[in-house]
Amino acid sequence: MVGVRHSTHFVRFQEERCTGCAACLRICPTKAIRIRHQKSIRIVDQCIGCGACIRACPAGAVSAATIGLEGIGGDQVAIALVSPVLYAQFPGVMPGGVLLGLHRLGFQHTVDMSFFLEMFQYAAEEFIRRNRRSPVSPWPLISPICPVVVRLIAFQFPSLLPHVLPVLRPVALMAREVKKQIIPAHTSQGRSVGLYFINPCPTKAEVRSDRLGAAPEPHEAAIGINDLFSELKRQVDQVLDSDMIPFSGSGYEFETCSSGNAALGAMSGGEIANMDIEKSLSVHGLQETIAYLHKIEMGLLKDFEYIEFRTCREGCLGGVLTAVDPYIAKRNVQKMVGVFGLGRRLPRDTILRLYEKGQFQPDQDPRMLTRLFGACKPAMSLDEARRVEAVLNDIEGRDCGACGSPDCRTFAEDVVGGNAALTDCIWLHARKQKKKPARFDLSTDDGRGEES
Amino acid sequence: MSGLRKNFFIKARDFIHAGEASIRIQHLLKTMQYDPRLVRRIAVCSYEGEMNVVMHGGDGNLHMELDRDVLQLDINDEGPGIPDIELAMRPGYSTASDEQREMGFGAGMGLPNMKKNADDMTIESQPGKGTRVRMRFFLNEGG
Repeated sequence: MVGVRHSTHFVRFQEERCTGCAACLRICPTKAIRIRHQKSIRIVDQCIGCGACIRACPAGAVSAATIGLEGIGGDQVAIALVSPVLYAQFPGVMPGGVLLGLHRLGFQHTVDMSFFLEMFQYAAEEFIRRNRRSPVSPWPLISPICPVVVRLIAFQFPSLLPHVLPVLRPVALMAREVKKQIIPAHTSQGRSVGLYFINPCPTKAEVRSDRLGAAPEPHEAAIGINDLFSELKRQVDQVLDSDMIPFSGSGYEFETCSSGNAALGAMSGGEIANMDIEKSLSVHGLQETIAYLHKIEMGLLKDFEYIEFRTCREGCLGGVLTAVDPYIAKRNVQKMVGVFGLGRRLPRDTILRLYEKGQFQPDQDPRMLTRLFGACKPAMSLDEARRVEAVLNDIEGRDCGACGSPDCRTFAEDVVGGNAALTDCIWLHARKQKKKPARFDLSTDDGRGEES
Repeated sequence: MSGLRKNFFIKARDFIHAGEASIRIQHLLKTMQYDPRLVRRIAVCSYEGEMNVVMHGGDGNLHMELDRDVLQLDINDEGPGIPDIELAMRPGYSTASDEQREMGFGAGMGLPNMKKNADDMTIESQPGKGTRVRMRFFLNEGG
């Protein structure tokens, strides 16, 4: 079948565990899954890495393409790039304790997201302020932070790509700074360096330097929070038991975290809560995000300047690779904010100078994403579109998914595209069975009652 | 007769399902990979047209005709009609109720937006009988 193959792109499907139950089939927002020969397979080009199939699979046959802790340590200098979601997994523990635990696991450096989130926020505010005076981007602007949202837009809402805020994402700023400041010090002495993104979702393995579609370089990898949680928990408990002062021994300021703002960034609404934009909105959840993108495409929500979208419920805290329940994690975040407050630590002037120099401009036009995600399917011709409607009218199905396609319309598209057989439809089959013994002409009952 | 025709029923005051016809048309045009800017214009027009029926028009329907080089949307309703079309076309003019405004609708931009985004638009209306809006989009003119 054209365009269908197994891959380790964002998620892995383990055939031996798959029962063909179709739980993943309908939940996929880009309809990238089909059941063939009682096993689920994925149309790789259409996968945006949302992780909905991982969540849905009762057999545990779907997993993220992250790596475990094996391979950390040895001769290699391991650098952990830490999402603030990690701190929220440890109630009553301050970020310093969690970072120290990471050091004990074998990471020489831990780099915290908080400074880079602040930089991003200053830069985003500045872009929006200027866009008010002389508009270059259409309202509402859309947060570029959640990579699944950006891919979803590229794939299903390409007309909205100009809405994506053209500012480098915090994770890209972080990777850039690490490459500039930490890595050369080690490579100049002949040591190899590994960059490990500690992530709440399956997507971030390849998002460094904002090249969302590129293949990961050999010395970069993503580790899911759930991959290292139990090991890390043991280390953190030891740190707390030993009355050590949770100081992570950092040489660079951005290696630690003492910011409630960063912690809040893990939560839905946390990105905009502390940003100086009056007309902003935060939306979380996959279905909600899709519904709002439809609204923007139809010309609504123009009164808003900035919308923070997260496809996971409760934001990144609800990521499929987290270890702790998102509502418990949310409470932990709120407590952390209570301790640290919400003040920013970076001076605005410095960031604005960097902004003037173009330090926050993404190195790629987001429109190139359409090439990555839009071109996987050939355009349907008018004739094919008519045949799709004809098939839909014939089958009169109920979106049951028994054929192996997620719904009747996608099935009809698959049939017309030569990727499925009409005989796979059980409704059609059942009607034929009934018709045979009747021996009278049922040609008037051709199902053209609605929408012809 | 090589075109594709689809008909959508639009129910009055059904704010929950309003916009579905528009989403279906967008899906079709996206699978056919028309220029995103064109799809956007059509999306805005079909949605605004649909909302007008939901808000003012009584029941109605949206009829889509897609041919090789033109897409035509006919939105017909059995509503109260528009007494003064010129006035209704004025940006900001609205007859929406307070309740509808509270829901975020009725800014008086519906018809002007449709006029702006369609390549060609005509309105016929008879007070007491209903309104017919026809919009056309030329598909091969790049955006």
